[in-house]
Amino acid sequence: MNIWFPASIALIVALIPCAVTTLRGSLLDRLAGLELTGVVMAQLFVLLAVGMDRVAFVDLGLAATLLTFGGGLVFARFLERWL
Amino acid sequence: MSILVGALVGIGVLLILFSCIGAMVMRDPYQRLHYIAPPASIAPFFFAIALFVGESDRAAGWKMFLVFILLNATNGVVTHATARAMRIRSGKPIGDLTAEERA
Repeated sequence: MNIWFPASIALIVALIPCAVTTLRGSLLDRLAGLELTGVVMAQLFVLLAVGMDRVAFVDLGLAATLLTFGGGLVFARFLERWL
Repeated sequence: MSILVGALVGIGVLLILFSCIGAMVMRDPYQRLHYIAPPASIAPFFFAIALFVGESDRAAGWKMFLVFILLNATNGVVTHATARAMRIRSGKPIGDLTAEERA
Protein backbone atom coordinates (compact mmCIF):
# COMPACT_ATOMS: atom_id res chain seq x y z
CA MET A 1 0.00 0.00 0.00
CA ASN A 2 1.47 3.31 -1.01
CA ILE A 3 0.33 6.87 -0.49
CA TRP A 4 -1.25 7.11 -3.91
CA PHE A 5 -4.13 4.72 -3.23
CA PRO A 6 -5.51 6.61 -0.21
CA ALA A 7 -5.05 9.81 -2.17
CA SER A 8 -7.04 8.31 -5.04
CA ILE A 9 -9.80 7.25 -2.66
CA ALA A 10 -9.88 10.77 -1.23
CA LEU A 11 -10.26 12.18 -4.73
CA ILE A 12 -13.08 9.72 -5.41
CA VAL A 13 -14.77 11.04 -2.27
CA ALA A 14 -14.19 14.56 -3.62
CA LEU A 15 -16.24 13.58 -6.66
CA ILE A 16 -19.36 13.37 -4.48
CA PRO A 17 -19.69 17.14 -3.96
CA CYS A 18 -18.80 17.57 -7.64
CA ALA A 19 -21.70 15.25 -8.52
CA VAL A 20 -24.06 17.14 -6.20
CA THR A 21 -23.04 20.41 -7.87
CA THR A 22 -23.53 18.93 -11.33
CA LEU A 23 -26.93 17.44 -10.54
CA ARG A 24 -28.44 20.46 -8.81
CA GLY A 25 -29.14 24.03 -9.75
CA SER A 26 -29.38 25.90 -12.99
CA LEU A 27 -27.70 24.91 -16.24
CA LEU A 28 -24.70 27.11 -15.54
CA ASP A 29 -24.28 25.79 -12.01
CA ARG A 30 -24.14 22.36 -13.55
CA LEU A 31 -21.57 23.43 -16.10
CA ALA A 32 -19.32 24.75 -13.34
CA GLY A 33 -19.74 21.42 -11.54
CA LEU A 34 -18.92 19.53 -14.71
CA GLU A 35 -15.74 21.47 -15.28
CA LEU A 36 -14.64 20.91 -11.70
CA THR A 37 -15.40 17.21 -12.09
CA GLY A 38 -13.23 17.06 -15.18
CA VAL A 39 -10.31 18.69 -13.40
CA VAL A 40 -10.58 16.29 -10.47
CA MET A 41 -10.95 13.27 -12.76
CA ALA A 42 -7.79 14.15 -14.70
CA GLN A 43 -5.73 14.12 -11.53
CA LEU A 44 -7.52 11.04 -10.21
CA PHE A 45 -6.46 9.10 -13.30
CA VAL A 46 -2.84 10.04 -12.72
CA LEU A 47 -2.90 9.09 -9.06
CA LEU A 48 -4.63 5.78 -9.76
CA ALA A 49 -2.12 4.94 -12.47
CA VAL A 50 0.81 5.65 -10.17
CA GLY A 51 -0.84 3.76 -7.31
CA MET A 52 -1.28 0.68 -9.48
CA ASP A 53 2.26 1.05 -10.80
CA ARG A 54 1.01 1.43 -14.37
CA VAL A 55 2.82 4.52 -15.52
CA ALA A 56 1.55 4.09 -19.08
CA PHE A 57 -1.97 4.86 -17.85
CA VAL A 58 -0.91 8.30 -16.72
CA ASP A 59 -1.65 9.31 -20.30
CA LEU A 60 -5.33 8.98 -19.41
CA GLY A 61 -4.92 12.02 -17.17
CA LEU A 62 -3.39 13.97 -20.03
CA ALA A 63 -6.23 12.98 -22.34
CA ALA A 64 -8.81 13.86 -19.71
CA THR A 65 -7.25 17.29 -19.28
CA LEU A 66 -7.52 18.06 -22.97
CA LEU A 67 -11.03 16.69 -23.24
CA THR A 68 -12.18 18.70 -20.23
CA PHE A 69 -10.90 21.82 -21.91
CA GLY A 70 -12.62 21.09 -25.20
CA GLY A 71 -15.84 19.91 -23.62
CA GLY A 72 -16.07 22.93 -21.34
CA LEU A 73 -15.68 25.29 -24.26
CA VAL A 74 -18.28 23.44 -26.34
CA PHE A 75 -20.82 23.48 -23.52
CA ALA A 76 -20.14 27.15 -22.77
CA ARG A 77 -20.64 28.07 -26.41
CA PHE A 78 -23.86 26.09 -26.69
CA LEU A 79 -25.26 27.51 -23.48
CA GLU A 80 -24.38 30.98 -24.69
CA ARG A 81 -26.34 30.75 -27.90
CA TRP A 82 -28.57 27.79 -28.42
CA LEU A 83 -29.70 26.15 -25.22
CA MET B 1 11.26 11.29 2.24
CA SER B 2 7.96 9.47 2.57
CA ILE B 3 6.81 12.08 5.06
CA LEU B 4 7.56 14.79 2.52
CA VAL B 5 5.70 12.88 -0.19
CA GLY B 6 2.79 12.31 2.14
CA ALA B 7 2.67 15.96 3.08
CA LEU B 8 2.73 17.10 -0.54
CA VAL B 9 0.04 14.64 -1.58
CA GLY B 10 -2.01 15.51 1.50
CA ILE B 11 -1.92 19.19 0.69
CA GLY B 12 -3.02 18.54 -2.88
CA VAL B 13 -5.84 16.24 -1.80
CA LEU B 14 -7.10 18.60 0.89
CA LEU B 15 -7.02 21.48 -1.56
CA ILE B 16 -9.17 19.54 -4.01
CA LEU B 17 -11.55 18.32 -1.29
CA PHE B 18 -12.15 21.77 0.14
CA SER B 19 -12.56 23.28 -3.32
CA CYS B 20 -15.17 20.68 -4.26
CA ILE B 21 -17.07 21.27 -1.01
CA GLY B 22 -16.82 25.01 -1.55
CA ALA B 23 -18.19 24.75 -5.07
CA MET B 24 -21.09 22.67 -3.77
CA VAL B 25 -21.92 25.16 -1.01
CA MET B 26 -21.82 28.32 -3.12
CA ARG B 27 -25.15 29.67 -4.32
CA ASP B 28 -24.09 31.66 -7.35
CA PRO B 29 -22.61 30.08 -10.49
CA TYR B 30 -20.05 32.87 -10.71
CA GLN B 31 -18.83 32.00 -7.23
CA ARG B 32 -18.68 28.31 -8.09
CA LEU B 33 -16.34 29.09 -10.95
CA HIS B 34 -13.79 30.48 -8.52
CA TYR B 35 -13.48 27.11 -6.82
CA ILE B 36 -12.24 25.45 -9.98
CA ALA B 37 -8.98 27.39 -9.85
CA PRO B 38 -7.19 25.76 -6.87
CA PRO B 39 -7.65 22.16 -8.06
CA ALA B 40 -6.57 23.18 -11.55
CA SER B 41 -3.61 25.36 -10.77
CA ILE B 42 -2.14 24.41 -7.38
CA ALA B 43 -2.96 20.78 -6.61
CA PRO B 44 -1.32 19.24 -9.71
CA PHE B 45 1.88 21.11 -8.86
CA PHE B 46 2.03 19.45 -5.46
CA PHE B 47 1.30 16.06 -7.01
CA ALA B 48 4.03 16.57 -9.60
CA ILE B 49 6.61 17.47 -6.93
CA ALA B 50 5.54 14.47 -4.85
CA LEU B 51 5.97 12.21 -7.88
CA PHE B 52 9.42 13.59 -8.62
CA VAL B 53 10.48 13.14 -4.99
CA GLY B 54 8.80 9.83 -4.21
CA GLU B 55 8.94 7.78 -7.37
CA SER B 56 12.08 6.40 -8.96
CA ASP B 57 10.52 6.45 -12.41
CA ARG B 58 10.47 10.09 -13.44
CA ALA B 59 8.06 9.58 -16.34
CA ALA B 60 4.99 9.88 -14.12
CA GLY B 61 6.37 13.06 -12.59
CA TRP B 62 6.96 14.64 -15.98
CA LYS B 63 3.50 13.64 -17.17
CA MET B 64 1.90 15.06 -14.04
CA PHE B 65 3.88 18.24 -14.62
CA LEU B 66 2.49 18.33 -18.14
CA VAL B 67 -1.01 17.93 -16.70
CA PHE B 68 -0.23 20.84 -14.38
CA ILE B 69 0.86 23.03 -17.29
CA LEU B 70 -2.15 22.09 -19.41
CA LEU B 71 -4.63 22.63 -16.60
CA ASN B 72 -3.06 25.97 -15.79
CA ALA B 73 -3.13 27.06 -19.40
CA THR B 74 -6.66 25.91 -20.19
CA ASN B 75 -8.52 26.55 -16.97
CA GLY B 76 -8.47 30.31 -17.36
CA VAL B 77 -9.82 30.08 -20.88
CA VAL B 78 -12.64 27.72 -19.95
CA THR B 79 -13.57 29.72 -16.86
CA HIS B 80 -13.69 32.92 -18.87
CA ALA B 81 -15.82 31.29 -21.58
CA THR B 82 -18.20 29.91 -18.97
CA ALA B 83 -18.52 33.24 -17.18
CA ARG B 84 -19.12 34.92 -20.53
CA ALA B 85 -21.87 32.40 -21.31
CA MET B 86 -23.42 33.09 -17.91
CA ARG B 87 -23.33 36.81 -18.57
CA ILE B 88 -24.91 36.48 -22.01
CA ARG B 89 -27.65 34.18 -20.74
CA SER B 90 -28.51 36.62 -17.98
CA GLY B 91 -29.18 39.26 -20.65
CA LYS B 92 -26.70 41.71 -19.23
CA PRO B 93 -24.18 43.52 -21.44
CA ILE B 94 -20.74 42.02 -21.84
CA GLY B 95 -17.79 44.19 -21.02
CA ASP B 96 -19.83 46.87 -19.39
CA LEU B 97 -21.55 47.21 -16.05
CA THR B 98 -25.25 47.84 -15.69
CA ALA B 99 -26.47 50.79 -13.66
CA GLU B 100 -27.23 48.53 -10.73
CA GLU B 101 -23.78 47.02 -10.80
CA ARG B 102 -22.13 50.43 -10.93
CA ALA B 103 -23.96 51.60 -7.81
